[in-house]
Amino acid sequence: MSDRFEKTTSTTCGYCGVGCRLEAHRADGHVVSISPAMDGPANKGHTCLKGRFAHQFARSRDRLTAPLVRESGSFRLATWDEALARIADGLGGIKAGHGPDAIAGLASSRATNEDCYLMQRMMRAAIGTHNIDNCSRVCHSPTSFALRKSFGLSGATGSFDDIEAAEVALLIGVNPTQGHPVVGARIKQAALDGLKLITADPRRIELADYGEIHLANRPGTNAALANGLAHVLIRDGLVDEAFIESRTEGFDSVAELVGAYTPEAVEEITGVPAADVERAAHIFGEADRACILWGLGVTEHRYGSEVVRLLCNMALMTGNVGRPGAALLPLRGQNNVQGSSDMGALPDTFTDYRPVTDDEITSSFERRWGVEMKREIGMKIPEMFDAAVEGKLKAMYIFGEDVAQTDPNTEHVIEALESLEFLVCQDIFETETTKYADVILPASSFLEKTGTFTNAERRVQLVEAAADPPGSALTDFEILRRVSSALGHEMDYETPSDVMDEIAEMTPRYAGLSHERMGRHGQQWPVTADGADSPILYTESFELPGGKARFAPLPYTPPGDEADEEFPLILVTGRRLEHYNAGTMTRRTANLDLMPSDWLEIHPDDATSLGLTDDEVVKVRSRRGQIELPVKVTSRIEPGHVFTAFHFPEVRTNLLVGDSADVNTSCPEYKVVAVSVERTGAARPVGERVDAGREQVPA
Amino acid sequence: MDVHVDGKRIEVEPGTTALEAARAAGSYVPTLCFDDRLAPFGACRVCMVGVEGAPAPAASCTTPCTEDMHIDTTDETARRIAGATVELVMSELPAPPAEHTELAEVARFFDIDEPRWQGEQHERDLDERHPYLVMQHEMCISCGRCIRACDEIQGAFALTATGRGFEANITAGLDSGFANSTCVSCGACADTCPTDAITEHTLLEVAQSGVGEGEVA
Repeated sequence: MSDRFEKTTSTTCGYCGVGCRLEAHRADGHVVSISPAMDGPANKGHTCLKGRFAHQFARSRDRLTAPLVRESGSFRLATWDEALARIADGLGGIKAGHGPDAIAGLASSRATNEDCYLMQRMMRAAIGTHNIDNCSRVCHSPTSFALRKSFGLSGATGSFDDIEAAEVALLIGVNPTQGHPVVGARIKQAALDGLKLITADPRRIELADYGEIHLANRPGTNAALANGLAHVLIRDGLVDEAFIESRTEGFDSVAELVGAYTPEAVEEITGVPAADVERAAHIFGEADRACILWGLGVTEHRYGSEVVRLLCNMALMTGNVGRPGAALLPLRGQNNVQGSSDMGALPDTFTDYRPVTDDEITSSFERRWGVEMKREIGMKIPEMFDAAVEGKLKAMYIFGEDVAQTDPNTEHVIEALESLEFLVCQDIFETETTKYADVILPASSFLEKTGTFTNAERRVQLVEAAADPPGSALTDFEILRRVSSALGHEMDYETPSDVMDEIAEMTPRYAGLSHERMGRHGQQWPVTADGADSPILYTESFELPGGKARFAPLPYTPPGDEADEEFPLILVTGRRLEHYNAGTMTRRTANLDLMPSDWLEIHPDDATSLGLTDDEVVKVRSRRGQIELPVKVTSRIEPGHVFTAFHFPEVRTNLLVGDSADVNTSCPEYKVVAVSVERTGAARPVGERVDAGREQVPA
Repeated sequence: MDVHVDGKRIEVEPGTTALEAARAAGSYVPTLCFDDRLAPFGACRVCMVGVEGAPAPAASCTTPCTEDMHIDTTDETARRIAGATVELVMSELPAPPAEHTELAEVARFFDIDEPRWQGEQHERDLDERHPYLVMQHEMCISCGRCIRACDEIQGAFALTATGRGFEANITAGLDSGFANSTCVSCGACADTCPTDAITEHTLLEVAQSGVGEGEVA
């Protein structure tokens, strides 16, 4: 079978957080085909059109193949020595003049654990600041926050295998067949095989067609729905009293709070019929083994972290944690959302979420790296942009993130980038963000590097280079080592495997992680020193003082934006199967032929009242900005709501999104934006290719 | 329970198939329509084995083990039936299957070179409309793996069997190509296809032993 190829490399997919194991086949010096690894624990011999086909981006002519430095307003090619000297001067000067906290860095949830660890070490040890964050801030930071508060650890409580072992799965604010296709396929097959699905989403997602009941709650009302379900569970005696008694604290306050959330009251807030709330609660509560899965439809809200805690409440009161078939499974967006935060690329924590304010922890890293560090936390991403605009933050080092495309309130982000005195970008392509850079370093894609990614089930899996970086581009491991060295802090690792060894040495819960041990199946943390890993957490006790989980009595509070006379519709944003996040990768592949442009989904009733038919180009206005795109009329979305994705830079969906963010973690509220939709008189067939360009004039 | 494979005694769980038992015992049984990821189908008759006491050889993939069953993977009749079946399948193809395919591997096992029967052969029928996937309809042997992968792995239900006898083939949607069907482009069909009747554009380019008249792009 492998005769056709020069080499076949087993690696881990660089797209979503499912963590499919892949076989990358090389011919003529580049990857020509990818097939699924038959023994992949998450994908079991399957993969989706992104993992399997969307690899041409790595050979794209647009790849950065040499460092670029800004000179009199434009970029010119530079040698590595020149680029490194420019960075040492730029960052060194700002550090000398304004102190290390005038500099901030962003690590990437697409990069490896080893890359993220090096990035946070460089910021902390070479620069001397805790101003380090990563893009999970804008997606699953609420999940991490809430799981730590309720259970103790920041990760799924079980594994994807629990989906097939469950009787019931509640899917809320997640559309797996589009966003996480291989897990979506596993859920669909399980449903065909008898798994009962409860789906909750403002859109009738594909899996709703295979489920027992669909709850189309209004965007921003997840808390009311979760409390309503808890109300019925308690009222009708569907709770596990022994589990509540022996394993948890704080149930009474939740029971008291949810007393007011009668199905009728919940119908009033959410739009979900009271009878459906009752029925869903019974399906969930009567199962012996139930899983809860959620995605950004839960987290990217003003009260996203609180809703995750309410989902934890439901699992706790029914005893659905810590057993096979009873897991809480947040579906992570990017390949290494879990790992980038685990590695301490966060302003307040080192590896395994251990706080920088803890003298003992910080001291241990000081000794290891031979530097001194502060005990005060650094800035989160939104605070960095605010500080840049205020003039307090002078420089940024952005690694593998396109903040000017993906972060909310785009105009504010661009103002921040323009305000910086010095910006370094490390990426594989020029992006919206690199336009503001002073130095751009050419980096490597996941097919060209070695290290590990941690998937949504806490599984740390090997990534191995299937090809070489193009031109004089380097692996991120090599770049970060060189930059740190240029800044005067040597990071003496021979290989990424050495980095993992240090991570294991410095982190008790990762003590047994090693490239050698993880082999083809990975290791699910915590991993003890002897290499034993943890497919299911909390089988005996929770990782909180006293070993008990904590209930959280949290009420429903309205979202940060609401429809009104001027902006009568609610825009929800999300993903499409064919594309991935900002589209930097997938739009450089034939996936663009499968989905050439974006559209706005609108309910037939709203379309009729606005006089709209398919393919008409509309102007979508929010309090923040406006965009134009064609519409598709579909009854899969509820009246009063519209939907689009954020994969196409020319559409610039995030121009519409305001500053509203999660109250605990600053995760932006991408999912509730009041908008108006107006006719433009123009038409453009949905699915017609549109040339990229910032000023989009519809045909 | 205990079963015997080629004289070797092994213990298996109830519900184990004869094929699984043979593999567990380390005996090779050729297969064509079988894929570990899919429910056994029993269509191709290539995995035939002898079973002591049975009136005729059995397709091992769909034959459950029974207590004290004696399985002979080298049974002469079974081998002859399976070999002739593969030879018949090959005789309909306009060109030998590419070296790396499972069909080529099975043909090598049965030592089939030029089929003895020179009946009607399929004509090249290429569908290149999808950006990644290619159908070479003339190479389809109706094993049903693509259809079952689409149903049982992905759940897209995009592929269907069409025609009968010599005309039997596969189609996406209402004969409208992958793009206009419920296909989600996951590629599971190409992955499982034992003949490259469904494959990828890039792999056709790479293929050393191209099919047809070497006209592949």
